[in-house]
Amino acid sequence: MMKEFSFALYAIKKNIQSSAELRTSFLLNILGMSINNTAFIILWGFFVKSVGVIGGWTVSDIIGLQGFVALCFGIVFSAGAGIRKLADDTASGAFDRFMLSPKNLLVRVATSSFSVSALGDVAFGIVCLGIYLVLIHASIIQLMLTAFLILITVIVFLSATIAVYSMSFYFTDADSVTRSLFELFLTPALFHGGAFQGTMRFIFTFIIPSLLIGTLPVEIVSHVSWQKFLFVSVLAMIWFVVSLGIFHHAIKKYESSNFMTFGS
Amino acid sequence: MESNSIIVSRLTKKFSFSAKNASSGWIKNLFFPEKKEIVAVNDISFSVKHGERIAFIGPNGAGKSTTIKMLTGILFPTSGMVTILGLDPTKDRKKLAYQIGTVFGQRSQLLPNLPLTDSLEFFGVMYDMSDEEIQKRIRELTELFDLGSYISQPVRKLSLGQRMRAEVAASLMHKPKIILLDEPTIGLDVVAKKSLRDLLLKINREEQTTIFLTSHDVGDIESLCDRTIIINHGIVIKDLPTQDLAKTFVYEKYIDLVAQNNFEVFPKLPNGIRYSLQEKNKVTVVVDVNQISVQDSLKILLSLFEVEDVNVYSADLETVIRHIYETDSIGN
Repeated sequence: MMKEFSFALYAIKKNIQSSAELRTSFLLNILGMSINNTAFIILWGFFVKSVGVIGGWTVSDIIGLQGFVALCFGIVFSAGAGIRKLADDTASGAFDRFMLSPKNLLVRVATSSFSVSALGDVAFGIVCLGIYLVLIHASIIQLMLTAFLILITVIVFLSATIAVYSMSFYFTDADSVTRSLFELFLTPALFHGGAFQGTMRFIFTFIIPSLLIGTLPVEIVSHVSWQKFLFVSVLAMIWFVVSLGIFHHAIKKYESSNFMTFGS
Repeated sequence: MESNSIIVSRLTKKFSFSAKNASSGWIKNLFFPEKKEIVAVNDISFSVKHGERIAFIGPNGAGKSTTIKMLTGILFPTSGMVTILGLDPTKDRKKLAYQIGTVFGQRSQLLPNLPLTDSLEFFGVMYDMSDEEIQKRIRELTELFDLGSYISQPVRKLSLGQRMRAEVAASLMHKPKIILLDEPTIGLDVVAKKSLRDLLLKINREEQTTIFLTSHDVGDIESLCDRTIIINHGIVIKDLPTQDLAKTFVYEKYIDLVAQNNFEVFPKLPNGIRYSLQEKNKVTVVVDVNQISVQDSLKILLSLFEVEDVNVYSADLETVIRHIYETDSIGN
């Protein structure tokens, strides 16, 4: 276990070195993503100002939601960007090199690539959560809940990503299938949390875990709801186990191919 | 040492795919496509002894790469069994990875944006080697593969020949007992090819590494491998010492006839002699010595053609291999 962890850290370090080689791209990506995300939050700010409070959600809650989603997105896709390349890797046969590795397959895949732009999301997520916690005058308990919920949202996001990109092994046109499925998961996660009631709330909690990475964490922190915290934690663990099962089942479908590819 | 490094028993791999049915409408084809199946590897069996150098050859689409991918655990067999150094690649993928090295000519395992030394170090860390072991092994491989002049260059800046040497070096970082190479000399010039073959022979001699390679290059087979397994249509059609392969068509002799003036007509030849090449300045015929002697053939040919020069020779290995592929294709 320690060897796997140590190798994962080493691989991430090498990926960062590899990305840092292309410094201009590195800096432009971070700047670009920060501008993009800030524009998004300003848009939601204007929306709330014009429409008013919906389902008890204020501007600060939306900032918190953007913070949680951006942070888990950024953490998973900076260090584990390789998962996002599964569709390409399986289609081109580049996945072969992971099968030849003596390391845990998922760790090897995830740490095979590093997304520079995702670091912009990490920075943006931290800033948003900081603003959110200041706006709600967060107590020590709310600060601790936020810290735990960052970990939980990362687990849910990672699980959903693994499950979605494992579909790469089942479809010929995996790229478009996985992209659509991933949008189906991510887009609702960024919506105004007050919009999800009744059936919609059920679907995007139990079937598609979009609300677990933004809406529910904000509600937990805002209302200090231990019941919801426990509920989200249990669902996160279930999603993690299920996603690992899906991945290990899926790799048996791998058929390789003979396109020219490079390593990482 | 007589123990087997590789045992393949009744190995089969089938691939299924959706195919368009011309008689159905596009909606039916879109939602309910017809499923077809191809048998890439069909019930093959062979074994490889420790330290052997095997050429696993066949025409394109014969099942070579599919077999090598099943041996390394990349693909799961449809049926049959593979044992590599006592391990089952489908169940012991990680353990097996510590024992084997792989080189795919069309697929790099190196880190493109970083210096070559980083890729070698990466492999060392991946195989749980200590820092000291990694540095020692990098020094050994740098010397063995003569990597010194470009080890600090980013991999993407290396020439193809340099990169292939680096690929083989990286695959040997953890001192594997078996190295499997899929077309390692593809695209290399003659000098780079020879250099790579010499290196492989050297590691086989010095580290007793078993070599299992697929190649379309006869030079790889002739100069590297002591045994050749030929696969076609997913079936092993020949498994014999490489030196015996050249004798497979020993009953055939080739005769080149160089024209004194241009050949204008190409008369019908008697039984046992057939044209292999018909050009105005040169004719090549194949003589089946079981039917007609070389001496009689020459008498007939010299009476039919006005020649400036004659050359009699046995088939080279490339011709033998081509002949085997063609004979097998006709048989199928």
